[in-house]
Amino acid sequence: MVGFNNLINSITSKFIKFAAKANGLNFYTTYFLIAIGLFVFVAVFTLFGVYAERKLSAFIQDRLGPTEVGKYGMFQTLADIMKLIQKELIIPAAADKVLFLMAPLIIFVAVYLGFAALPWAPELVPAKINIGLYYILAIISIETLGILMAGWGSNNKYSILGAMRSAAQIISYEIPAGFALISVVMIAQTMDLQLISAQQGILSPEKTKFLGFLDVSNTGGILSWNIFRAPHLIIAFVIYFIASLAESNRAPFDIPEAESELVAGFHTEFTGLQFALVFLAEYAMMFLVSMVGVILFLGAWNTPLPNIGSVALATWTTGTAWGIFWIVLKTFGLIAVQMWIRWTLPRLRVDQLMNLCWKVLTPLAFLCMLISGIWRLWLM
Amino acid sequence: MSLVQVMFYVLAAVVVGSAFFVASTKNLVRSIFMFFITLLGLAGLYVLCLADFVAVTQIVIYVGGVLVLILFAFMLSGKENLELLQKQDNKFISLGKLPALLLAGLFFIVMVNVLGKADVDNLQWVQMTKNFMPFPKANDSTVENIGVNLMTFYLLPFESISILLMMALIGAAHLARKERGTI
Repeated sequence: MVGFNNLINSITSKFIKFAAKANGLNFYTTYFLIAIGLFVFVAVFTLFGVYAERKLSAFIQDRLGPTEVGKYGMFQTLADIMKLIQKELIIPAAADKVLFLMAPLIIFVAVYLGFAALPWAPELVPAKINIGLYYILAIISIETLGILMAGWGSNNKYSILGAMRSAAQIISYEIPAGFALISVVMIAQTMDLQLISAQQGILSPEKTKFLGFLDVSNTGGILSWNIFRAPHLIIAFVIYFIASLAESNRAPFDIPEAESELVAGFHTEFTGLQFALVFLAEYAMMFLVSMVGVILFLGAWNTPLPNIGSVALATWTTGTAWGIFWIVLKTFGLIAVQMWIRWTLPRLRVDQLMNLCWKVLTPLAFLCMLISGIWRLWLM
Repeated sequence: MSLVQVMFYVLAAVVVGSAFFVASTKNLVRSIFMFFITLLGLAGLYVLCLADFVAVTQIVIYVGGVLVLILFAFMLSGKENLELLQKQDNKFISLGKLPALLLAGLFFIVMVNVLGKADVDNLQWVQMTKNFMPFPKANDSTVENIGVNLMTFYLLPFESISILLMMALIGAAHLARKERGTI
């Protein structure tokens, strides 16, 4: 395994050297390649995410799900996207044409831009920004604007109702999510996602303590993840996870697209490629919020296996390839939980939604922030 | 021209052009969405000045907060009101607009005067920044600096702003509250 690690490391370092050597235009070509690579990843993830969701929902409801296209129905979503691409682009007669055409683009680009700041492995991050976390929070908030644009541009009462519900929900749930994130930032003392990741493993530049007393700087593994460095962050993680479900408009917080009352909410009028873009944005958002959760609470690209004496599991399983493996695995785990919740829980009513946000999650998030301050001052 | 200059002029053109569209268009909803482009261009200019924190804050507060609130107001007010607003007479100069034109003209003269007399290159704080070594680099974090300054030099303004915001919050809560007995 160590040999494999070294191989990957040497390949990436060679690639970086190559990128550095090729100056001028080639330097920018690398940026374009990275951007295209991220887009391809998002698209492929969406295709198989939809497939996974259909199979998972089938399992939960005791059905079979897609079975016809390819082995186990693996190519069902590929066929779906082929159909969507061929479909006609219908613009309603009463719609505001410019806003209607722009809206899906803005919704998708807002989510896609967030991917720029996400770290994948040690030393592997598309854009190393000092305030990465804050940037992601800001960029995601543009999505609300796109949704309102879609609702207004469609000139359809279901669309506008869905858009308003969605915007109200996203704005409300940004508050508990934001405070849950601040309580992590107070523990980590930085908003650089790469530094926050490094702090939660054996590569940590500072001393890491399990539950505030046991020094685990060289042990690493699951013991040095943020939720175990400061156990109140478990509550913050749950708050963030619930709020992230609401921000990506997924059940049980899917009143913006409640089928039984609003047809399909803000994307009622979209057809063909535009509908595909909205769908892409939803799945990209699921991945983004899950990955941010993993980075901040569940040890980012760090391995869950600790060093035990001479059996240095953590040291063996840390590296570029391992980093990508762990972070993707953890993120997929969180996404699976999101899907599981969607197909198990019933939809919340509007007043229940707001009660949960303002009377339960927000005070708890404030409490977490307070504990974070005390924890940082006295126990770290 | 260096790349930074090119980027500055492109961003400035985007900001000025979109701001002009915002002010001149009759379609109010489109002008709000265009305002979003203005704000985004401004954020880009801030990034160019190495003020990344200010840029992101600009997006969080203006795009995520203020713009969405304005849009909410529009969507709740209904189409008829909007159409009434859009049906103003088309003449650019009319007697009704005389005070506005006068005010704008005077304000323009003041602005030109200020720009002429300011002598921007020799201002004290510009000179101080110029002589301030080491220059901030692109990768420097500005967050710590802002935090320390807010808690030391600018503590009083910071606290008074938070009291003002607190008053606004209490006022909003009071207005939104149900009257006793009318549930």
